[in-house]
Amino acid sequence: MDTLFAWLCLIFPLTGVLSTPFLARIGPALRDYGSVFFSFLTAASAGMLLPLLFTPEMLPLETSYIWLDTPIRVNFGVLIDPLSIVLANVVAVISFFIMVYCLGYMRGNPSILRFWMLMNGFIGSMLLLVLADNLLLIFVGWKLVGVCSYGLIGFYYRDEKKYWIGGPAPFKFDPPSACGLKALLVTGVGDMFMLAGILIMYYYSGTLDVMGLYRTAPEWVPQMAAAPGMMILVSVLLIAGPVGKSAQFPLIEWLPEAMAGPGPVSALIHAATMVKSGVFLVARLVPIFYYGYWVAGSPEAMHFFVIVAWIGAVTAFIAASKGLVALELKKILAYSTVSQIGYMMLAMGLSGFRQDLLVNGYTAGVFHLMSHAMFKACLFLCAGTVIHSAHSIYIHQMGALRHYLPFTWVFMTLAALSLMGVPPLPGFWSKDAVLLVCLESRHYMLFAVAVAAVICTSFYTVRLIGMVFYGRPSDHFRALEEKYKTLEEKRAHLGEGYLSQTFACAALTMGIVVFSIYGLRVEHMLHDLFADNLAHGLSLPTVGHTAAFPHLLVPVLSVVCVAAGAVPAFLFYFTGTWSVQAVFRRSNLLKLIHIFLWERWFIDRFYSWFIVGGIRRLSVFVARICEAFLDTVIHSKMPRVVTHGGKALLDSLHADARDLSNNIAYVLATAIFFIVGTVWWIR
Amino acid sequence: MVDPMTTAVLLQIVFIPALTSLFLFLFRHALGKKAGWIATLSLIYTTLLLTLTGFRIYQGSHRIYEEYLLISPNITLGLMADGLSISVALISNILCLALSLFSIKYIDYRIGSIYQNVEAKREISYYSRFYYLFLYFPMGFMGVSFSTNLIGMYFFLEVLTITLFFLMAYFGYIERVKIAMMCLLWGIFSASFFLAGSLMVYSRVGSFEIARISTLAGDPLTFWIITVFLLGLFVKMAVFPFHVWMPWVHSTTPTCIAGLLAVYANIAVYIIVRVLILPLYDDFQIFGPMIMVMALITMIYGSLLTMAQTDIKRVAACSTISQIAYSMLGVGALTAVSLEGGMFFFLSHIMGKTVFFSTAGIVVYTTHIRDINSLGGLAAKMPITALLFISGAMMLSGFPPFSSFPAEWILFTGIFERGATDQLTLVVGLTGVMAILLTVGYTFMAVRKVFFGPLAADFDNEHIKDPPLSMSIPIIFLVVLSVAIGMYPKILMDLLQPVISGAIAF
Repeated sequence: MDTLFAWLCLIFPLTGVLSTPFLARIGPALRDYGSVFFSFLTAASAGMLLPLLFTPEMLPLETSYIWLDTPIRVNFGVLIDPLSIVLANVVAVISFFIMVYCLGYMRGNPSILRFWMLMNGFIGSMLLLVLADNLLLIFVGWKLVGVCSYGLIGFYYRDEKKYWIGGPAPFKFDPPSACGLKALLVTGVGDMFMLAGILIMYYYSGTLDVMGLYRTAPEWVPQMAAAPGMMILVSVLLIAGPVGKSAQFPLIEWLPEAMAGPGPVSALIHAATMVKSGVFLVARLVPIFYYGYWVAGSPEAMHFFVIVAWIGAVTAFIAASKGLVALELKKILAYSTVSQIGYMMLAMGLSGFRQDLLVNGYTAGVFHLMSHAMFKACLFLCAGTVIHSAHSIYIHQMGALRHYLPFTWVFMTLAALSLMGVPPLPGFWSKDAVLLVCLESRHYMLFAVAVAAVICTSFYTVRLIGMVFYGRPSDHFRALEEKYKTLEEKRAHLGEGYLSQTFACAALTMGIVVFSIYGLRVEHMLHDLFADNLAHGLSLPTVGHTAAFPHLLVPVLSVVCVAAGAVPAFLFYFTGTWSVQAVFRRSNLLKLIHIFLWERWFIDRFYSWFIVGGIRRLSVFVARICEAFLDTVIHSKMPRVVTHGGKALLDSLHADARDLSNNIAYVLATAIFFIVGTVWWIR
Repeated sequence: MVDPMTTAVLLQIVFIPALTSLFLFLFRHALGKKAGWIATLSLIYTTLLLTLTGFRIYQGSHRIYEEYLLISPNITLGLMADGLSISVALISNILCLALSLFSIKYIDYRIGSIYQNVEAKREISYYSRFYYLFLYFPMGFMGVSFSTNLIGMYFFLEVLTITLFFLMAYFGYIERVKIAMMCLLWGIFSASFFLAGSLMVYSRVGSFEIARISTLAGDPLTFWIITVFLLGLFVKMAVFPFHVWMPWVHSTTPTCIAGLLAVYANIAVYIIVRVLILPLYDDFQIFGPMIMVMALITMIYGSLLTMAQTDIKRVAACSTISQIAYSMLGVGALTAVSLEGGMFFFLSHIMGKTVFFSTAGIVVYTTHIRDINSLGGLAAKMPITALLFISGAMMLSGFPPFSSFPAEWILFTGIFERGATDQLTLVVGLTGVMAILLTVGYTFMAVRKVFFGPLAADFDNEHIKDPPLSMSIPIIFLVVLSVAIGMYPKILMDLLQPVISGAIAF
């Protein structure tokens, strides 16, 4: 009975996908509201799972049916444990608000049917991913999520110029269809490695069930650890999947281009849900490798945690630093997403460093995931409204928008403060938890990198809000103001969006406010849940945590770092006390740094040149040189050798090539000689 | 009373297409363009028979055997259906059925563009010629699938080669006669090795029966027998460097049978499993690593070759080279799981390739353009075709919910099962998994170039639209079938498992 709602979480979106074309036949209103209604039902079903969090002794719950029993045994089932309940709610509830936003944002779009189908398909796939009880099914959800995001990123497949991202001129632009393909391919790299990792793990474990893997760990983990290097190989392969999907270093480069989709798509896929699937999967894998290191005693298992933590920290910093100079509003938010997911990865990685950090690290990662989903979705939705109002994707073409977008201004500022980690907003609590675990692990390098990322985050966030809502209106925006003369025109073209858009943003902002009040309590609840789940449910060895540093050290440090980033940005972009241009002109070093960051650390360029260009060059080489050579040799040279050579042979034997009948006996004798020789040799 | 659904079913399945062909030939003028529908009807009937037979086997009959005396005393025609052969036969027959329906309109267009200004009677004669030749494809596939002896198999392989020659020569694209000749020579080259291998088997066993091949196990000549067979079959499967015929032939054949060409090439995997691996599992082990390495080279080479193509038909053609190599990789890993995965991948690939190729055919049919760089933005005008093409791309790249996803999964489970203890297999497996990305790359790149982006001005007219239903419905059916198998692969695996695991599990 209790898993019924989990099944409904999968059934409703699927029904939404299948029924939308029929609803569209009846009428456009039914089509639009019907699609949103299905996502509401999904959110309600997910919400019905929440009470289970208060009876943790009942968890985990699992229902599964045999899907395939030969040659590998795979079930089709759902697994309800604290992690999946939390994730399912994050996905379903935030998706619902985003769908509400779409009612306004996508109004009048001629391809809206495709949009609704893809959105519901995406939500369903994402829920399949988080609720699935085995790795194969998780992978199915994983791939489907990728396909839906491909469709949604490339939604404007006609590549009209107004949907291009990148730039501004003279820099390169990217059309949406290319961005979709890029996302599909880059995440695909991770997917394929992960597939290999799962299958190698399956060889040892003989099961793909998540709970089965945990339960039988005492049997198979030591076996896998016995093969030298295998634990490291499997770790790297398995981590590659989350790294791809969550756009972590080195597969970091697809997410900024994924902003080519409609605004709410960015909110849904690239803020709240899809990119979180990597963190979710790492969380699913943590118990296995934790067992490997702390119980089975395989030193190789520690590599899993070290790699995850370092990837997280490095990504958090790289992405945040790119955000400092970016000009596209959604691209800044994309960098910020990548960077924040880096924090989640960092926390997940740290959870295996010491026995007393398991629960704290795990909780910090999931907690940051929850709070980030909420404020980042809000930021992206607001960004959609802002871009619509400013008729531009660049923040330097905005300015002083708070006069036209009073609600969005409030919502976005609150969400931005949360992103920076200003107390008492949820971002503060969750980032604080991550930093605390990092410090407690005593890996000061990791901590330093994480702190540096906090400073960058707060700088680019203040810069963003300053350039969008404060300062003076840009020339571009002033031209718009002149274009729309009357107040009605101004309100219609430059003002807030439809009511549903404002409602969705307001609801998410309310969520942020409520979460600020109850944030700490939620964190403690999650802590208890995961402690119960990991230590008791899965019998992983943990020890009680004793704080080694003063209690207030991290919060104070965190606030100082926020201020360190925020104050200069405030002086640059809010008050205009400091001039960006003047500082920039004065320092050659700054110019160099700017180029380096603007070019995204040259990572994208390197990939384009080395991998994309390399494969292209190789394919041209194969087609023009190798294949042409083989084709000529086999289809013309060799037959010619046979014909000419045969003639030459006959000539040299003084036979008449034109009239073989005279010499047929001669040829036959040679053939018989060879055949007899061969037969004799074989015998 | 004789029940046609259970009496001599296999004989019916194999020869009804041939009889229909004769009927079409004799009454070609009276039938006119109804020939296509009659051919389709006969294939519906055989598909029905195959489905029922498959159901009987699934229910537990395990195998159905029929033997017919051809020449007294002991030249017989043996036909045997078990889980393995019925799966191959059923899917191949469904593809023949779908393409037969697809061709009704397509071949009309093709005849119109090759044989312009011919009188109506002659046009009809070409039209029925296509169908009475076409029907030898299902006959050949069924024959190869069900034959219990090597000579029967050889005969049906040659039937396929010769049919292909005529169809290509009559209805192919530029230089069709020359390429058809090339294809025939390669086909005969391959078949000669097959025949030589069969004769070598006969010389040791005294019989052509496949069931007797297992007595060769441990024989010193077995190595050479397998080598000779493999050489012939490698040519058929277009393994590097024997692949050179494939891009020419595949891109020259009329699009409506190009899907069957993929079956023609890929069925060699079935032959390897049936004739060599199941009876001679232990002797075959030594070939495993070599096959895997060749498969890996072929799949990467084929993918790179595909990437450089700009002719939409050649894209599909070159991709066949790399796709067959996946089945071959499964064969090379030689575990029960990888073999079943390899066979499953074969069946998924031929469905995917038929969808991909036929949709490419629809694009050519509608726009009369084959150069990818001159196409673009067609999704706006041809949404169903675009969706089908994307489905084809997903089917080739192994995305859920299509059948190639579980196939790929099972295939690589088998490969890594061996790879966990064998370094070479591990490296090959990892590289093979990554090579799938190349498939995703070239299929979706083709999708983007053909269907996305701005619509070229030339295409902004009412002629550019989705094709008639008789062309799209068969393809939609194949997509749905692939989804159905992808969602419930158990049904296919239950058929394959007893035959493959049962034979090599000792």
